Amino acid sequence: MKKTEIILILLVAVIIGIILSLTFNASTYITFVEAEKFMGEEFTVIGELNKEKEIVYDPYINELTFYAMDSLSNERKVFYYDAKPQDFERSEKITMTGYSSEEGFIAQTILMKCPSKYNEDQHLVEDETIYPTYD
Amino acid sequence: MIEYIGEHQLVGHLGQAFISLSFAAALLAAVSFFIASKNKVLEIQWLSLARSSFIIHGLSVLGIIGCMFFMIYNHYFEYQYVWEHSSLSLPIQYMVSCFWEGQEGSFLLWIFWNIILGAILIKISKSWERSMMAIISAIQVFLSSMIIGLEIFNVKIGTSPFILVRQLEENLGLPWTLMPNYLDIVPQFLDGRGLNPLLQNYWMVIHPPVLFLGFSLTMIPFCYALSGLWKKKYGTWVREALPWAYAGIMVLGTGILMGGAWAYESLSFGGFWAWDPVENSSLVPWIILVSAAHLMLIYRAKKTSLRSTFVATLLAFILIVYSTYLTRSGVLGDTSVHAFAGGLDYQLLVFLMCFVILPWVLFFIRLKEIPNSKKEEDISSREFWMFIASIVLFLSAFQITWFTSLPVINKVFGTQMAPPLDAINLYNSWQTPLAILIIFLMGGVQYLRYGKTDLKKFFTQISLSLVGAAVITFIISYTVKMKEPLYLILLWATLFSAISNVEYIRTILKGKLKISGASVAHLGFALVIMGALLSNANKNVISQNKGFIAQDFPSNENILLEKGDTTAMGNYFVCYSSDTLIGINKTYEVQYFKLQDNGEFNYQFTLHPFIQLNEIMGNVAEPSTEHFALFDVYTHLTYADVDEHNENDPYHHESIINLKQGDSVVYSKHFFFLDSLMVNANTDINSDKALDVMLIAKIKMQNMQGKFTSGQAIYAVKNNIAQSFPAFLNDGELKYKFLFSEVNPDAGSIQIKAYEHIDNDKPFIVMKAIIFPYINLLWIGMIIMALGTGMAMIQLFKQKKTPLALD
Repeated sequence: MKKTEIILILLVAVIIGIILSLTFNASTYITFVEAEKFMGEEFTVIGELNKEKEIVYDPYINELTFYAMDSLSNERKVFYYDAKPQDFERSEKITMTGYSSEEGFIAQTILMKCPSKYNEDQHLVEDETIYPTYD
Repeated sequence: MIEYIGEHQLVGHLGQAFISLSFAAALLAAVSFFIASKNKVLEIQWLSLARSSFIIHGLSVLGIIGCMFFMIYNHYFEYQYVWEHSSLSLPIQYMVSCFWEGQEGSFLLWIFWNIILGAILIKISKSWERSMMAIISAIQVFLSSMIIGLEIFNVKIGTSPFILVRQLEENLGLPWTLMPNYLDIVPQFLDGRGLNPLLQNYWMVIHPPVLFLGFSLTMIPFCYALSGLWKKKYGTWVREALPWAYAGIMVLGTGILMGGAWAYESLSFGGFWAWDPVENSSLVPWIILVSAAHLMLIYRAKKTSLRSTFVATLLAFILIVYSTYLTRSGVLGDTSVHAFAGGLDYQLLVFLMCFVILPWVLFFIRLKEIPNSKKEEDISSREFWMFIASIVLFLSAFQITWFTSLPVINKVFGTQMAPPLDAINLYNSWQTPLAILIIFLMGGVQYLRYGKTDLKKFFTQISLSLVGAAVITFIISYTVKMKEPLYLILLWATLFSAISNVEYIRTILKGKLKISGASVAHLGFALVIMGALLSNANKNVISQNKGFIAQDFPSNENILLEKGDTTAMGNYFVCYSSDTLIGINKTYEVQYFKLQDNGEFNYQFTLHPFIQLNEIMGNVAEPSTEHFALFDVYTHLTYADVDEHNENDPYHHESIINLKQGDSVVYSKHFFFLDSLMVNANTDINSDKALDVMLIAKIKMQNMQGKFTSGQAIYAVKNNIAQSFPAFLNDGELKYKFLFSEVNPDAGSIQIKAYEHIDNDKPFIVMKAIIFPYINLLWIGMIIMALGTGMAMIQLFKQKKTPLALD
């Protein structure tokens, strides 16, 4: 076999390895209910913060608890053992990775999505009623 | 037609005119350069038309930029771009950064650099000018279309930086847009939203221009390769493109690491690199550009690997366009923290598709004609191992791109994959072995000769460096207690590469700096990786909270500091001593001490992590770092109470208590009673103070130990003005204030507002502190690498001038 062929085979093998590696390591987006079927196993849940319910951060034990709803509106208490992210209350969508437990969902990482600039623009017009109408 | 009052329409119209002109001129330049490159008739006329069009294009882009700065500088908040990205309080240096915060501005920055480089090429590229400039002008047409802001048949093309807020689609027809004096009436127009607090950092003033210059420089080898294919000059383009490729490596590499420096200094994820999609998508084109440049060197020396050279050179720029698509179309949305917002996705996709499809179509049409040597390279030759290195670089880039493209893969294949849970480790476990290979090759391959090498001599030359590096690895691993075998091998590789490159300059090149650019750049890169490895693999979170049981929880990594208390943290004792509000920054002073043998605290240094207060976009915590020669101490606040207290009234945390006479409630760990309510009214009808009344609430508090304190809160009406005199109750150290605020005659109750003294709970901060050892190697390496690539670039430009210069 020629050197070029050996190199080519190795190259293709590593490329396939990379492709498979992502497929096998990718996490899955699931709901709280599904996560509860596999307690203790790690998943990614995209949810929304329930702003009506209490959001408690206890700095002395560094514990943040809040209520979140998943895409099917199942609500669960979420425990996050890290400092409360800046502007947590303003978040629109929260991507949580972690696992379910008897107490609730234990989040290990939280990625927040805040209102984008483009939504913010519309805030300018939301209160249109406060301006006098022009005739 | 409404005559709007206070709008500055002139600058907008002028800017919009410049945009149209620049687009039209770029189009004309592209067409006439194209014709000039094909047509022998009237060649000179077409060429001069093309050149003038390109110059007009350039001048009108300068005009656009001038208009934008004028708008921003004068705070014309009726313009969307100004309103969204700047504010009255923005310091002048950040007005520059708000210019490129938005999509439109950053495209302009890119267009600007292309013009500068285009002008240089018109001057120096001689016979290549026409085809090169035809391609560059075509790219300018695409880029200009991103800011043109036209709507043709309901298809929106680009967004103009000169659009007024009232002209935005979502505002059209709203009542306030029909008011001539809306600027005076609508309070939102008094000030802009301001610059994103994360970008208010000096690195953000220089990082984007450097990065975009890197993008532009990567375009030049691409254009040379494409011209080569187009004009069937299959080999000669390489020599022209080489110095530009090295210029691109230098500038893009510096730009990427500047982004890392910004992240390290002002973001609070704790580090300079996080494999974030936005970071990755600028790293990947750099890796491919490095690979392309080395393939060019192989071709220049041995006239082999031309096809691979084409592929890599074309790919480098295509990946830049792809990265633009990834970061600006909004497709990354869920996976990146700092992707741009969307809006131009279809247009960007067209741009991407043109640059993916057209060059490859041309490449495959011409493939048969591209010279391809059938001879196999000798395994002891330099070109063989340089080729291997290029393949390893390609694999490294492929892995990063594939993982970063997850949202795109989901879109194309309709899958629902979420990012890997431990993405950073997954990236590291792929990239570490590839980096080991690359870095060993970087140290050894230069000792090989093109063609064939005496291997015995080769091994004697590198053996000393290999052994020396192994010894140092052993010593370092012992002192910093590094055990991970893969990391030890990587450390060995970087040390070997650093030593052998220095040795190469000393023994083979005899210290001639003019020709040692490559070795200097390789030394720099080895140091960058060494610094990254040592600082990250051995980073030490000293704010570990040992009292907490759960091992792997991040809460372990934070420490709570009460104001004034001194707490042990790692080797240090830390004290949060004060906080001050300066402008928009609330700065916390954290002092570091060391305990001496005599039991006294020895002051070391003070760090000032701060929180940038921003009501509109949210507060941002910025870290503070103390730099030492061998390590950095990095501190950032993970939680702090930023409420400002009124100096005159130290009471806060208002609670409202409604109660009747004889009622009791629980308040702040106390029983709280309303003992009695007395009414003191003036009953003399003839008096002019007939309606004056005074209510006295006798209140009482009982603490957990049963101890009582009492006082009276008074509510008085005098001359029709209500006044309240609060009661101050103290329970030992705890101080409270009670304000009689309302009488509710229907319910027969009164309302009391209760406040706690700010000293009742001590102010505290929660912070994280990390020691990054040897991180300076990274920054020093970066400077050395930039210098080395620059030296190589100068050398290559010189060689290009002398037509028969030998390697």
